[in-house]
Amino acid sequence: MDLWKPQPVGRLPRFRQSLSRKSCVLDQLLQHCLNALVLGGTYALLGIGLTLIFGIMRVVNFTHGELYSFGAYMMFMFVMLLHLDFFLSLVLAMLLGIALGAAIEFLLLRKLRGADIDTTMLVMIGAWIAMQNLEQLVWSGVAKSIKTPFPSSPLVMGALSVSWNRLFVLAVALGLILCTYALVNRTRLGRAMRATFQDPDTAALMGVDIGTIYMSTFALGSGLAAAAGALLGPIFVVTPTMGDLASLKAFAIVILGGLGNIVGATIGGFILAFIEELGAGYISSGYRDAMGFLLIIAILLVRPTGLFSRKERIG
Amino acid sequence: MSFGPISAKDTLVLKIEGLVCRYGKVSAVRGLSLEVRKGEMVALIGANGAGKSTTLKAVSGLIRPAEGRLIFDGEDITRASARHILRLGIAHCPEGRRVFPYMTVTENLQMGCHLRRDAAAVTADMQSLFDRFPILYDRRAQTAGTLSGGEQQMLAIMRALMSRPKLVLFDEPSLGLAPTMVDRVFDIIKGIQAEGVTVVMVEQNAFAALELSDRAYVLEQGRLKLSGTGAELLHNPEVKAAYLGA
Repeated sequence: MDLWKPQPVGRLPRFRQSLSRKSCVLDQLLQHCLNALVLGGTYALLGIGLTLIFGIMRVVNFTHGELYSFGAYMMFMFVMLLHLDFFLSLVLAMLLGIALGAAIEFLLLRKLRGADIDTTMLVMIGAWIAMQNLEQLVWSGVAKSIKTPFPSSPLVMGALSVSWNRLFVLAVALGLILCTYALVNRTRLGRAMRATFQDPDTAALMGVDIGTIYMSTFALGSGLAAAAGALLGPIFVVTPTMGDLASLKAFAIVILGGLGNIVGATIGGFILAFIEELGAGYISSGYRDAMGFLLIIAILLVRPTGLFSRKERIG
Repeated sequence: MSFGPISAKDTLVLKIEGLVCRYGKVSAVRGLSLEVRKGEMVALIGANGAGKSTTLKAVSGLIRPAEGRLIFDGEDITRASARHILRLGIAHCPEGRRVFPYMTVTENLQMGCHLRRDAAAVTADMQSLFDRFPILYDRRAQTAGTLSGGEQQMLAIMRALMSRPKLVLFDEPSLGLAPTMVDRVFDIIKGIQAEGVTVVMVEQNAFAALELSDRAYVLEQGRLKLSGTGAELLHNPEVKAAYLGA
């Protein structure tokens, strides 16, 4: 009988055990949050680009994910094939993203201005498929990895650790988010973009060249997507279809944040990252990508205009 | 310069010849010709759908005329962009005020002088406009969407003046305003003309428009029906019956 009695355990050891378990739980939570922060920065970049394009141009941009993978492939080409400096490559990849965006606007969207939204959508879906297949043709389907100049040992802070590369991604993403915010809210071009968003006809009456605004917007949004790809390419691997999920997530973020809302897209990007990271960590890692979409379905059921929409706006 | 004002009044500023504008297959303006001389106030009156607003939009370059010619200050602006037309000195104060609702009062005014690069003069102009409209100075940091209708109309007028125009097109400036505000807006427009700016006004309130303006054109279904001085048309029996409700 006595054998079935629980063995007496000293108070002190049991207390210490529970304390360490508690701190372990906390560390784990903090680690997940840190990871989410890094991921959220790039999600926000993707979301801001897409929300600007949809908000100002009313174009559902299916090529957004392709710009993301384009950025990653350009990073691969510059770093691994041309052996350029990593940081220079990042700048070049983003600039090429801007150029490609401007080209898409000029070659496809300019001619479709005033066309039915369905027509534009079909054209953009076509461009998406064509770009993805072109990528497969040029780079083959084999996943590519990109070397980084960052030390392989992570930065360790107590029980938390984060790779230098991820910290760099977060810093650059935050920098780009702030720059975009300043561009839209503090410059003459940004003011013209907001005016065009609020009332294109009246903006034209004020002397705003709507064509230039559309091209700048699409180029800027594309540049941000390419930057996100160039930043995440070295962390994950680069494949021709990597843009598909990125695109879907960008749409989810835009819906979450309210169309045309830069702050909303930023917060939406971080929310999605936190949900995914925490969902994967505590519920099931297999459902990582589903978590965010489940949340969005839930939010849209309650607030069909998104979390932060004040009717529709930009800025 | 005793001949100054008289000869100035005779200078043609805007000439519209055989203007035809179409929305798809529907013609909104069908062969309209009219003239505006320097320093005058000209009113366009007519029923809904007479083509008044469309005419203004064609002049400011928002829509391309299908036929006809538009000449401003001796230059053919028929195919010119809205941007170029604004640069030449035509400002358009659109129907329904159309201020940028999520921009502050100051930002709205900055949009009004989007093409101007003379920052110092812009600041001075903005200050002098704020002196004329002190309510808006108090609300300069507020978004335009939070202003009352009358304040928005004043802001729209200020915004149009920020480009230092030679000709201002007003589209229904009194629409939807409280009666006291209507008088105020007409006073402001009269003041703008007194400063030497030419004014073309489209107005639903035909009585006020005819009283205020030097000359007026009556449009019907995209064509010119009548024209004359404001006083003449005020006493014209046809106009009285159709537009003045007498």
